Amino acid sequence: MSKNYYEFTYIINPVLEDDQFKEVVDKVSKLIESNGGEIEEVDEWGLRQFAYEMDKKGSGYYVNMYFTAPAEAIASVERQLRIDDNIMRYLTLKYDAKMLRHRELQKKNEVPDIFAYEEEDDDNNDENDD
Amino acid sequence: MKQCKFTRAGVEYIDYKDTDTLQRFTNDQGKILPRRVTGTSAKHQRQLTTAVKRARFLALMPYVDENIR
Repeated sequence: MSKNYYEFTYIINPVLEDDQFKEVVDKVSKLIESNGGEIEEVDEWGLRQFAYEMDKKGSGYYVNMYFTAPAEAIASVERQLRIDDNIMRYLTLKYDAKMLRHRELQKKNEVPDIFAYEEEDDDNNDENDD
Repeated sequence: MKQCKFTRAGVEYIDYKDTDTLQRFTNDQGKILPRRVTGTSAKHQRQLTTAVKRARFLALMPYVDENIR
């Protein structure tokens, strides 16, 4: 049974109380573990404003996590979460080689900055003007 | 002199969570800018599109930004 590396983000209904958020997060983590998953990191972003209204709500409690699990686990985890009214939305991504390399850079905080060259460009333009 | 910013920085994967970067590739309506404007390579434009769409799904970015009416 092969295992894959997954990134999983979900949004919890913001009407819950603070301790209820923790309960939901624990529940999701346990659910993944009970399906043979191994959690690497759970990052709670907390309450965040939505970019648009979703189910008549303007914000949600975001949780972003990384774990390894067998492929079969995803279907049953997602089935459970779809039923759960406290979870407004979720997104599962299976990591391929490129994404894994990106994740390693992310852990080391070495993700290349794509705008790092911008100042250089400005300098070059100045030279051309002269 | 246009060049793909992602290629130049050696980016392998465009993350949907990095909305600050993604925002620079959308206009004020929230639409994804075309390659001819940004100079992004075809490979990275495809990645960018998926990243923006994922971000929109999770309400990290707007589908439609109602700045101007």
